[in-house]
Amino acid sequence: MDISKHDYLEKVLESHKMKHVSDFVSKHKTKRDEIKSELQSNYTGKIYVPINSGSYAKHTAINIKFDLDIIVPFKRDAFETLEEMFDSVYDFLYEKYKDKATVRKQKVSIGLEFYPDEDGEVINLDIVPGRELNQDKYLEDKKLNLYVNTLYGVLKEKTYIQTNIQAQIDHITAKENERKKIRLLKAWKHHNRETYKSFLLELLVIKAFDQANIDGNLWEKLKKTMEYIQNNVNQEGFTLKDPGNSGNNVIDTLNTNERQKLSDTMKRIIENIEANDDNIKIYFPINEKFEETDTQRGYGIKTASASVSIPPNNTRFGL
Amino acid sequence: MINIELLKETLKCLSFIKNINEINCEDSIIRGSIVILFDGLESSLNFRFEIYPPYPLKYHGSESIKFYNEDLISINHVMQDGSICIHNSHNTDLKQKILMDFDSLKQWIQKYYIDKENDLNYEHIVVEEGLVDENYYSYIFTDISHTFSEGDFGKVDIFPLNNAFYKDKVIQNFLVQKFVFNKSKIPCKWNSHYSNIQASEFGLFYFLDKHPAKMNKFILNNWVEFQGLVSNVFLNYLHQFEKKFLTNSKGNILPLFFGYRTVNNEIHWQVALIKIGAFPIKGEAEILLGIKTGKWNTKLISSDIQWALVRDSSYKYFFGRGTIDKSITESKILIIGLGAIGSMVAKTLTRGGCKYIDIVDYDIKEPENVCRSEYLFQSGLCDKVREIESLLIAISPFIEVTIIKKEYFELIAKMLYKDMESRSHLIANLNEYDIVFDCTTDNDLMHILEIFELTGQIINMSITNHAQELVCAFSPNIYNFVNTQFSEILNNDLEDLYEPTGCWNPTFKASYNDINTLVQFAIKHINNIYKNSKEKNNFVIGTNADELTLEIKEY
Repeated sequence: MDISKHDYLEKVLESHKMKHVSDFVSKHKTKRDEIKSELQSNYTGKIYVPINSGSYAKHTAINIKFDLDIIVPFKRDAFETLEEMFDSVYDFLYEKYKDKATVRKQKVSIGLEFYPDEDGEVINLDIVPGRELNQDKYLEDKKLNLYVNTLYGVLKEKTYIQTNIQAQIDHITAKENERKKIRLLKAWKHHNRETYKSFLLELLVIKAFDQANIDGNLWEKLKKTMEYIQNNVNQEGFTLKDPGNSGNNVIDTLNTNERQKLSDTMKRIIENIEANDDNIKIYFPINEKFEETDTQRGYGIKTASASVSIPPNNTRFGL
Repeated sequence: MINIELLKETLKCLSFIKNINEINCEDSIIRGSIVILFDGLESSLNFRFEIYPPYPLKYHGSESIKFYNEDLISINHVMQDGSICIHNSHNTDLKQKILMDFDSLKQWIQKYYIDKENDLNYEHIVVEEGLVDENYYSYIFTDISHTFSEGDFGKVDIFPLNNAFYKDKVIQNFLVQKFVFNKSKIPCKWNSHYSNIQASEFGLFYFLDKHPAKMNKFILNNWVEFQGLVSNVFLNYLHQFEKKFLTNSKGNILPLFFGYRTVNNEIHWQVALIKIGAFPIKGEAEILLGIKTGKWNTKLISSDIQWALVRDSSYKYFFGRGTIDKSITESKILIIGLGAIGSMVAKTLTRGGCKYIDIVDYDIKEPENVCRSEYLFQSGLCDKVREIESLLIAISPFIEVTIIKKEYFELIAKMLYKDMESRSHLIANLNEYDIVFDCTTDNDLMHILEIFELTGQIINMSITNHAQELVCAFSPNIYNFVNTQFSEILNNDLEDLYEPTGCWNPTFKASYNDINTLVQFAIKHINNIYKNSKEKNNFVIGTNADELTLEIKEY
């Protein structure tokens, strides 16, 4: 590899920055603010100020996949049941946006996928209704109960989940070092089609920084983070506390085999990159769409830039 | 050539040989006899032996020494001519070999004559293959979904496979397609290709209650031995049958199938060959209380039976010597792209026992494809799919091969994949496959298949120039992995390419051996993943500098 792994990873991060999609994000923000306003008008007296959540709010977003979620905190007495709250918000959003978007019930949220705009872009927003745990205590303790749509819920009997979204957001606030590694692991997850939850990766990285001595340059820090995951995620007794609900051990979302698989994968990534620097490109590819301009490469055109008289450099054989 | 004196001297070393009778040599074959007695053997046993010129080496894979005792043919591993079936150990030292072989005879006596051991594995009855008009005949059958009872008889539809040479004689090979019994057709479980061929010939069958054998191991060799085993109704049917076909088919061979049950209630068949006009039957007047009733019965007459070669080719035995894992063989498989890699994958999976393979390729097979793929020169220019279909069916009578229209991916999928309704139809079609091998090296198709997010497993395979590496990727992580490997990681030589004459279309350089070495290793690894339910990690097989060792790297 022509450049160091540190410099390469900086390029990876740069190419995945949200600034490259600022216009698209603006559209999301405009739509998000509109929905927040509509909800506040409709539920006057029953609702607290909706808060922004999702990876964008947590500054862990990458431009190939990001979430702008809206948490909608309701007062305890606004609805008899959580299901009633969930259905009410769904009905309201459906009536409001049925001609502009696909509105669907998801596990704990209502998903709005707006039809492509004039630029062909699709805005996705998730609205998460929650009801304060104790009457008039939300502003103080930020605790919410979320309705779990049983159609999607893995918790067969449980139809609600207690959380504290603000605590989750605060957990990652002012941790730029951790956020870089989270963004890199999210890039790995998306480019390599891994199915691990982003929230799980976030907590793993934060715990790695908390428990292990993560220092050095960007590659060294990432490597040490992955080593921490490799060495710990498969260990009995390893916990990953949800900052929004201390009773929730997030590592339990993986079974024993899946935890071992994650450990093995981390090991393999480190070994392959140590054996050949170029392998870093497999796991942490640059988002070619936003690769920095230099004398060799321009935006959006890379492997196709071959002369017509010789095959392009990604030519495969076997036919 | 063995020295008789040396033989005598050596045999004297063996205490269980009580007497060595006259040994002589005639036509380069040494013949003699010995008397054996040892502790545990109630009385002495006499054995003749014959030693052939290649001794102590084997001849045609068999021992070049034979022991005989015609009185022991009822014992296990004694053939009808009294020869003892012994597998001896290899030794090129003449004296040592003599000692070992005669000691093997002693061990056989202990195991089968004294201890009367029975082997666990089922042994088919011994059949001496007969020639009819200097031709051998063979009949290949497979399982049926029907249980016959004693005395059931009917028609067997057969068709010729091809004539060949067998032990320097012409052999006519036939495939048993179906049984016709009580007006219902009982098909053999071949694939649709062999099941749908119009049967051009037929035979008759009769189902027996027990093996048609003497001592439960030697097939009956005279027709009168069948008297009482087959019903009078059947014998009368035979008589009527011969009468009916005598005029037009006199002299034609009629295969007569005798079925019986073996292990696990499996059916085995033996086929006797009889000529129309020379059936081994005669009419006999029925006599009651010394008075002829005016009725005639059909009886078997004394004559030798000519037995044909019969082979049980059911899936269990056809693939008994080795298959790939059942999780693959039972899968519905699609192979896209039938170039070097695709044709090798198709053939390997078929020989591995796969039952359902669909194939698609728009390309034509040219003579220059033959040197590094599974195509044959003999078939000339043709659609690749047609030749691979023929090849796979020629290999396995159990594989179902369907050719997918050549424009399915090239035009339809590429044109319509962005249209959501069309896409959902395409996905629904492709979701019928458990495994899709993409051997096209087509980046566009690789992209389309990835965004389809099929429920089945896509396995993408391609190689670098000179077959230095093989890259194999599993869905869902194919596109990024494969592209990065080829564009960023592997040292894919794009200078030293083969330039065919004519239009610009350079291709890679690699021999059949180069490519197939990697493909076989890849399939072995994939099989191991399925067999042991391992993680499907993408991998690259690389050849090291000396090209004599392969290394697999998982990602």
